[in-house]
Amino acid sequence: MITTFDIFDDVLKLRDMVDTFFRDTPSAGNRPYDFPYVNIFEKDDKLDLRAVLPGIKKEDLKIELNDRTLTISGERKNTCTDRPCIRRERSFGSFSRTFRLPYSVKGESISAQLKNGILTISLEKSDEAKPKRIEIR
Amino acid sequence: MSKELKTGREEKKTKYTAPIADIYETESEYIITMDMPGVDKNGIEITLDNNELSIMGTLENPMETENLKHAEYRLYDYRRTFRVGDDINGNSINAVMEDGVLTLNLPKKDEVKPRKIEITVA
Repeated sequence: MITTFDIFDDVLKLRDMVDTFFRDTPSAGNRPYDFPYVNIFEKDDKLDLRAVLPGIKKEDLKIELNDRTLTISGERKNTCTDRPCIRRERSFGSFSRTFRLPYSVKGESISAQLKNGILTISLEKSDEAKPKRIEIR
Repeated sequence: MSKELKTGREEKKTKYTAPIADIYETESEYIITMDMPGVDKNGIEITLDNNELSIMGTLENPMETENLKHAEYRLYDYRRTFRVGDDINGNSINAVMEDGVLTLNLPKKDEVKPRKIEITVA
């Protein structure tokens, strides 16, 4: 097979690499996910959502389950609005994030715990979503 | 083999996150607030050595990875160092840990605080 060698091919490749690097690197304001970030754990019929919500009070947080969608919303209040700020890295304001659950869950057995800025929502698969064995008559 | 495993664990131990922080200044003090989710007040270690204020935060529970199906974040122990000026009274630093946010109050020395001078009429 004969291929032509173009001296600029590698240069263009390098340019693409640099572009990808800057576009895909997670940095402030360019995160692939919305606030709050969650980790989801699944074991057997149990689903655990763990969201990082530092500085958010229980009262400022709302969790809603609507059929198979779970919404976490709330507000992160700025506690230091009256003082002059010399460095600002944290962000404040209201947020909302909705998750589509892989199956329906038992509404009555949902529990949520907020500790050290980490919210854990424990969900359990509903009986309707569990696999059913059908007897052959 | 066992040696390899051991070094692997040690490498993991040395990973840290620099917690994000806001710094406020008032007439009488500096206030540093830092996001350190997953750390409770017993996991915080604050040292002031000369002009270096270092804050270490150890996670209450190391992050679990078992049964993890979808991950958007990773938690490591926290570490961050600030260089502070000579105007801070190192003996009366106050720290509060609440909801994964550490608030540090660094009072200024009395000499640098603005003073009101009374005029006495002779």
